[in-house]
Order: sequence, then structure tokens, then C-alpha cells
Amino acid sequence: MRILRDDRVFALLLLAPAILCVLGLVGWPIAQIIGFSFVEGAKLNALGGGARPLGFGNFISVLTDPETWDSVVTTAIYVAGATLPAFALGLGAALLLNRSFPLRRALRCLALLPWAAPGVLVSIIFLWLFDPSYGVVNYLLRSFGYHGEDIAWYSNENTALAAAILPTIWKGFPFFALTILGALQTIPADLYEAADIDGANRTQAFFNVTWPGVRGPALLALVLNGLWALREFDIIFATTGGGPSRASETLGIRAYLEAFSYYDLGRAAAIGVLTLAIALALLAVARRPLQKEFF
Amino acid sequence: MEGTSLRRDWRVLAAVLVMVAIILFPIYWMVVTAHLPTRIVLSRTPPLLPPLSEMTFDAFGRALLRRPFLTWLANTMLVAIAATLLSLVIATLAGYSLSRYRSKAQELSGLALLVSKMLPGSLIVIPFFIMASRAGMIDSRLSLILANTSVGVPFATWMMKGFFDAIPRELDAAAAIDGCSRMQALWHVVLPVARPGLTAAAIYLFIVAWADFVFARTLINSPELWTLTTGLASFVGEHGVDWPGLMAAGSLSLIPVFILFVLLEPYLVSGMAAGAVK
Repeated sequence: MRILRDDRVFALLLLAPAILCVLGLVGWPIAQIIGFSFVEGAKLNALGGGARPLGFGNFISVLTDPETWDSVVTTAIYVAGATLPAFALGLGAALLLNRSFPLRRALRCLALLPWAAPGVLVSIIFLWLFDPSYGVVNYLLRSFGYHGEDIAWYSNENTALAAAILPTIWKGFPFFALTILGALQTIPADLYEAADIDGANRTQAFFNVTWPGVRGPALLALVLNGLWALREFDIIFATTGGGPSRASETLGIRAYLEAFSYYDLGRAAAIGVLTLAIALALLAVARRPLQKEFF
Repeated sequence: MEGTSLRRDWRVLAAVLVMVAIILFPIYWMVVTAHLPTRIVLSRTPPLLPPLSEMTFDAFGRALLRRPFLTWLANTMLVAIAATLLSLVIATLAGYSLSRYRSKAQELSGLALLVSKMLPGSLIVIPFFIMASRAGMIDSRLSLILANTSVGVPFATWMMKGFFDAIPRELDAAAAIDGCSRMQALWHVVLPVARPGLTAAAIYLFIVAWADFVFARTLINSPELWTLTTGLASFVGEHGVDWPGLMAAGSLSLIPVFILFVLLEPYLVSGMAAGAVK
């Protein structure tokens, strides 16, 4: 009995720094955000000064603002647009990297490189690729017979969001490739042999052997990547800054701008709480696969 | 039979080439741009295969000399290494605890760790900024180190838990019978076995801190404390961007991470598989 108690104390002691870290550096900030969202008229420069009335003013102001709902739609497009193609690309890459061919290890390293490149650097590379006058993308378009005006990908309202999604896909697909590759390597080879003996073709083998083998990790990676896209900041901020005319302004960008450009902490916090609510709703939807994979 | 397998190989090879092109073209273009003189770079018909005779290292010189690139690099290194070490210790202890001792408290904190990973950085940064300014820690590397630690710990903890789960408990038990204390068992017996996991977690943590932008941009004002990402981003707003210089700085900033990858890639694949997937 005593040993059991000691064990528990020891276990909690080991966990304590992490709990402290999460509570102090994540939990407390979140509590503060929720607190600020109820403080009427909270400005960044008026912090800590005197008591202010509490109320739903920030939420009313944010939720009745059509711009907020524009941002919600932009966020949804961004998340779906960045996650699903990255998933498809990552699955393809994983299937490919699971086969043997010369230089496979080198290719694995290279395939990971976009994932390791800082978001800001990725943004800068894409800004250059998509530069209106000197960008190689417009040059390639011209050489394939496009004769219209130069497309200013990042400062054109119609293309800015898509142009911010592209680097996100490029940066995001190695994560899928990596997790799915890990799962592929756990599928026993005799399952494929059995499928072969049963006369399954390659498509059938994929749906009956490969997909069941990678489904859990793949779904988990989808959920994680979706949540990461929901919180993405670096790439959008460094490429378009949310513009032009708010064409790429997701909730994360909007919260940041409200706080650090308009100094409206209350509204920023209310937008933060809204983002949090969306993330939790997504998590609730994805609870089952998550639980199955983690516990 | 021979024929089909040859044809299949050929198709795999083609797919590999397409993939290499997708993955590498942006990086290739960055490196090429960095080696060309501005006159050629600012052309409406950029050469896809650069003329070797025109290649130059001028842009690297500009990036290194005219910009405080080395200062940014040193700042990033310092912050990233400190944050990696700090969060590696925290995450290892927590991962071990989550793996070896199961109780409601463990499960709850495990879940809290997971959920905390999902909050937007641009959200966390607001209260973080307020806390740092109240503590007088704006413009301090320490606040940046702590911020990056908080970002890295949750996922690294789960990676470490995955690794410890794969190490038989009998190992710790045997060490205890041999007279080791629990900490000694962890240090002398379990950790050496978990070295691949430590390596994978360390790479992950290092990359997280290396790539950080939102905290560095918000918590640091003084240009002499800028990190690589804030420094690189500062090029962009300028009138008439020095693209070769920027691409040279970008290429250089990728080298440390690339070296890390080439050296440690085997650990990373198995590490992500164990920690992220299981």
C-alpha cells in the first residue's frame, strides 16, 4: 500500500514540470483570454488599470460583425484547402517511399525538408516563386502560352487565399507522408501475398489491406493537421498579412490584428474564444478516432 | 513477368521523379536565385538551368556582411538550443510518468497536454505578451525560450511516452531489484535504451523553436535580438527586395536543420511513427 502511494507521488513529481509548463504557459494564458473577452472596452494599453465592467459587449460586437463571419468562411476554406490536398500528396509520397528504389533514404530526407523549413522561409520562397514580374510561375505560365497580364498572386483578391494555401500544403504534406509511412511499415507482407493469392488487383489490395492498416494514424494525422491549419499564422501573415481587402484573413490573423494593430484586446480575446470553440467542436467530432489512437 | 516488373519499376521511377520535382523545385529555385547576379534574377525569362559562368557568391557575402545574419543565427541557436534542452528534460520525465504509471490523474493530464497543443499561437501570444510585459520580460531571450518550451513540451511528451511504452517495464523492475532508486533506474537503464526517442524528440523540439515566428515577432523589439525568422521577414517589406540576398540568407538558414536531418533521419522516421502514431 505504501509503495503504491509512493509510486503515485513519484509519478506526479515526474509529471509536475510538464503540468506546470502547460498550466503556466498555456492554461493560464487561455484563462486570461477568456477573462479579457468579458472585459468591456479592454485596450492593450489599458492593461491592469482599475476595474472594468464585465459583460458580453465584446462577443456581441464580434458576433454581429459580418467581417467575423467572413473570417470564419476564410478559415474553413483555408483549413480544408490546406489539409485535404496535403493528405493526398502525403499518402502518395508514403506509398512511394515504402517501395524500394535507389536513393530512397536520401529522398526521405528531402521529403522531410519542407516540414522542417520555418513557415516564414517557406512564405518567402513562395513569394519569390509567385512574384508578378520576375516569378518563375508566371514565366512558366507565359511559356505555356498564357498571354494575359502578369498575375500578382499575393496581392490579387481572387488568388491571395489560394496562394497562401499552396505553401501550407507544401509544408504540410511531409507530416502525412511520415505518419503514413510509419504505419505502412507495420503492415505484414504476407497480408499482401494473401490478397494476391485471392486474386485481388492493386486497387482492391489498397482498399482491403493498405487502407485498413493506415486508417487510424492517417485519420489522426488529418485531425492534427486540420487543427494546425486552424492555428496557422506564420505563412499567411508573412505572405499576405491577411490581405488584400481581407481576402486571406483567417481568425488567427484577425485576432492578432485586433490585438496588435487595432489594440482592441477585448475583441481579439472574443475572436480567440470563438476560434477555441471551433477547435473544440472539431475535436469533439474527431473524438472517437483520437481516443482509439491515444488510449 | 520480367517485362511487367521492368515496366512497373519504370513507373515507380517516373513517380519518384515527379515527387522530387514537386518537393525540390521551391528549394532548388531558392538556391539558384541565391547564386545569380541581380541582373539575371530580375528578368522576365529567368533561366531554369542557371548558366554556370554567371554563378556568383556575391549574394551570400551581402547576406553575411551587410545584414546582421550571423547575429540572427546566434540568437536563434541560443534560443532553440536552450528551449530544446529545457523542454526535453520536462517532456522526458512527463513521458516516462505517463508511460509507467496509469491513474485518472495521468490520463487527465495526458489529455490536457494534447489539447493544449491545439491552441492557435496567435492566440497564446496575446496573454503571453501581457505576462511578459508585466514581468518586464519584453525584449528578453528568456521569455522567448519559455514560450518555445511551452509550445514544444506537449507533443514531445507524447513522443516520449510512445518510446517508453515500447521499452519493457521488466527493465526498470530489474534495475530496482539490483538496488537502483527509481531515478537511477530511469537515468542508467531506461534512458540509454530510449536514446532514439530522445533524439527524435530533440529534433522535433529544435525545429519548433527554430521555426518560431509569432513569438519572436511579438516578444522581441530590438533588432539585435531578432531571430532568423524575424530577420528574414524584415527583408520583405522593403522597397525593392534584394531577392538574391534574401534567398542566400534563406538557404543558409536551412543548412543547420538539413544537417540535423541527414544525420538523424532514421531516428526521426521511427520516432514520429512511435510517438505520433501510436
